[in-house]
Amino acid sequence: MTNETELIEQLKQGDETAFKTIVEQWKDMVYNTILGIVQNETEAEDLAQDVFIKVFEKINTFKGDSKFSTWLYRIATTTALDHLRSKKRKKRFGFLQALGGDGDEKVSIPDFHHPGVSLDNKERAAVLFKAIDGLPENQKTAYTLHKLEGLSYRDVSEVLNTTVSAVESLMSRANQNLRKQLEEYYNKHYR
Amino acid sequence: MTSKEKIQHEIEQTLQCLDGVKRAESNPFLFTRIQARMNKRSSRWEERTFSFISKPAIAIAIVVLVMAVNGWALWGGSGTSEVVTSELNGSELANEYNVVASINNYDYENMTNE
Repeated sequence: MTNETELIEQLKQGDETAFKTIVEQWKDMVYNTILGIVQNETEAEDLAQDVFIKVFEKINTFKGDSKFSTWLYRIATTTALDHLRSKKRKKRFGFLQALGGDGDEKVSIPDFHHPGVSLDNKERAAVLFKAIDGLPENQKTAYTLHKLEGLSYRDVSEVLNTTVSAVESLMSRANQNLRKQLEEYYNKHYR
Repeated sequence: MTSKEKIQHEIEQTLQCLDGVKRAESNPFLFTRIQARMNKRSSRWEERTFSFISKPAIAIAIVVLVMAVNGWALWGGSGTSEVVTSELNGSELANEYNVVASINNYDYENMTNE
């Protein structure tokens, strides 16, 4: 913890070695969180870079009221969700352009395979990730942080700046929505 | 097992498939890439500033502004400098700039004790 505080202080002074240590220490955590939300490895890598650049630029706004990891998770989830929103806007604009008769290419979302999933669960996980992608933003974030990052409900509540009971409710609704989507999927494909 | 039960079983299995999932590992060269992007960003900022200044309209405006300031300094402010110089005669000027003192200081051969 002291080491973490020292690192942050050094980073506030603009120390590049401290920045490198922070990147090396938290890069997998940031990348995995973003990957769970955006479900695309190339985009997740670019966004992880964005997150650390933001950390370097905004470190002076970190007052230490929360854990550094909580602050980092907040930046990572916000960056990932902002990216998804802008992607959606672009897709909508592209759709309007297509209606105008400019092009007939359709963007198809490929199946996402998380590299941490075991081989025998690969297909099943791809189905689940597609369902997760259909969840509302806050449910998706809570579910990703809990399931992929293994955060407790308390930790998730700190990242989302809400109460533990609100996270419980988010998780319960997320599970209900996932069940509904999976039921539709298996009704279609399991025959 | 009925088809409904089979589907329920599939759903349960699918929901549990992320239990024990490993954390995805990021690119080992992530820091190098971040550094490259940060350098590119700062050089882009310099480039933008330089290209803004080197625009003909901006460059001409800067030259005109510099000339206007010079013109004001020469003609606009000449009245006050004239008044100051007219008040100073030769000896006052010499005293002002310590001309005598400096000559005496270097005139080692003709030094007299006063």
